[in-house]
Amino acid sequence: MSLQPDLSVIVPFYNEEESIAAMHAAIVEAVEPLGISFEMVFVDDGSRDRTLEVADGIARKDDRVRVVKFRRNYGQTPAMAAGIEQAHGRVLVTMDGDLQNDPKDIEHFLAKIDEGHDIVVGWRFNRQDKLISRKIPSKIANWLIGRVTRVPIKDNGCSLKAYRGALIKQIPLYNEMHRFIPAMASIAGPRIAEIKVRHHARQFGKSKYGLSRIYKVLLDLMVIKTVASFTARPLLWFSMLATPLILVGSLAVGWALWRWAATEAGMSLPVAGTGVLLLTSAFILVCGGVLGELIYRSGDVREQDFSRLTGTVWSNRPHA
Amino acid sequence: MRDSTGTLDLSVIIPVGNRFSDPVELYAEYCAGLDATGRSYELIFVIDGPREKFSGPLMKAVDGRQSVTVVSLTRPFGEATAIMAGFEQASGRVILTLPAYFQIDAGELPTLLGALERCDLAVARRWPRAGGWFERLRRGAFHGLLRAVTGLQYRDLGCGARAFDRRVLEEIQLYGDQHRFLPVLADRRGFRVAEIDIRQSPKDRHQGVYEPRVYARGFLDIFTVFFLVRFTKKPLRFFGMIGVSLFALGALLVTWLVVERLFFGQGLTQRPALLLSTLLVVLGLQLFAIGLLGELIIFTHARQVRDYQIDRVLSYRNEN
Repeated sequence: MSLQPDLSVIVPFYNEEESIAAMHAAIVEAVEPLGISFEMVFVDDGSRDRTLEVADGIARKDDRVRVVKFRRNYGQTPAMAAGIEQAHGRVLVTMDGDLQNDPKDIEHFLAKIDEGHDIVVGWRFNRQDKLISRKIPSKIANWLIGRVTRVPIKDNGCSLKAYRGALIKQIPLYNEMHRFIPAMASIAGPRIAEIKVRHHARQFGKSKYGLSRIYKVLLDLMVIKTVASFTARPLLWFSMLATPLILVGSLAVGWALWRWAATEAGMSLPVAGTGVLLLTSAFILVCGGVLGELIYRSGDVREQDFSRLTGTVWSNRPHA
Repeated sequence: MRDSTGTLDLSVIIPVGNRFSDPVELYAEYCAGLDATGRSYELIFVIDGPREKFSGPLMKAVDGRQSVTVVSLTRPFGEATAIMAGFEQASGRVILTLPAYFQIDAGELPTLLGALERCDLAVARRWPRAGGWFERLRRGAFHGLLRAVTGLQYRDLGCGARAFDRRVLEEIQLYGDQHRFLPVLADRRGFRVAEIDIRQSPKDRHQGVYEPRVYARGFLDIFTVFFLVRFTKKPLRFFGMIGVSLFALGALLVTWLVVERLFFGQGLTQRPALLLSTLLVVLGLQLFAIGLLGELIIFTHARQVRDYQIDRVLSYRNEN
């Protein structure tokens, strides 16, 4: 890429043939006055209507638009992740393709990023949706996610978010982890800000996405949290798992040997066997830890790399 | 490796393994069938291990009408590897794999290739099909099991005739015995897969009952696919579940034994149940550790694990 644009706007579309042109016009109208270079990444999430044709037509006229076509329908968050992967901007902004987010808010997101935040998330404080079927479940879900991830965000479901490009492109978003990008990004220790955004009622079409399968994703998040803290030092972790086994195992073997040598009672097979079993198992666990070290060394996503993404360096050394 | 953007329509890959028909007859029949499609094509024979009985007569029979490549492997590597070796030499936009013995009526190849207008991979199903009740039962069991495991209904994965877009093999690295499951793997990557009814060759005679080894291997293959499809992305969810249940069961047993020892004076030295419960605890721990290792592998290689597939990117930017 020759020139990095200041901003990439990422918009997924799924059967939004009516909205897409209006969306494009709204983005251009909102961002052009800011006087920055920008690009738009439209992701066609396997639409079955004319979304792709319309998007292609827009891209032909406006070369700031790139269209990413999915092989089939994968859902909104994979579409966001694909857009993030394909975007080149210094700052990446994601938003819904259904005109419910307002591109005029992008300006405020950019200001927050310039203040030094890595991630800025939107909060739809006057949400234009049904109370029972959309708002209340989302409140509960957000509270749960905040508890599990310890990243208290009032509105995870809001698509309008801004990321520092260099950071978000390094975060591994796999296994539906892109559902909670801020939580996932929290392994890098980013500075997160939350700002209020406008929210409009739907103009065209029907709502296509909901917060589903929350519990599965929460489970995955807990796994990731564990793995993220464990990756850098697998041998230590496995050795810690093995320590109680070694203690109890040695005790059992020791006691059985003592009883055999010092008394007339003879060898207790169950106790001695248990001890040997525990010691063997501890040995295998430590071997697993060594394997873990090997995997970590050969992998290409490492915890240590995340420190460079958010850390800053201060020095009074003169520049060479 | 040749230029992959060649002008050739079709590359035909024929892996030659243990079982092969008379090469001269096979060559003539395939050429006749392929000529009927009206496409430009090349033939690539991959001799999997030294098989002079096939390659000798074949090379003599080849006339100059079409391009024929013969790749000879020094020892048998298996059909999947043979197909990949052939693919390295292929320059056609469409790839067709054919068995080295008569399975399908070559006169129907135009039907198989024509199906590619509606899908990315067309796999032939021999129909109507000869064969006794035992054969039918074996086939039904295999495909029924596969369906239970993957949710995909195929009826003749044993057929070696498959036509597909070359992108399929560019993305999927076949190894082991995976050639048979190419439709399953392709479907998983978001390609459109169709099963096409093709007349069976009258010369496709089955030699009756196979060795038991062959059946065992088929079953194990399904087992492998099961893991590939279901759990390769979430090892901790799978191993962790089993591990935690075994651990819990063992821990309960140990608690019971300890309670009996402390309050009812039931000595531990003569109780084999101690050994069993410890075994369960230890096994649970080991399984959990394996799950963690699996998760570590996924995490550190997350950049290669994506759960969406981009079909293409449309961009009209002048990159200068």
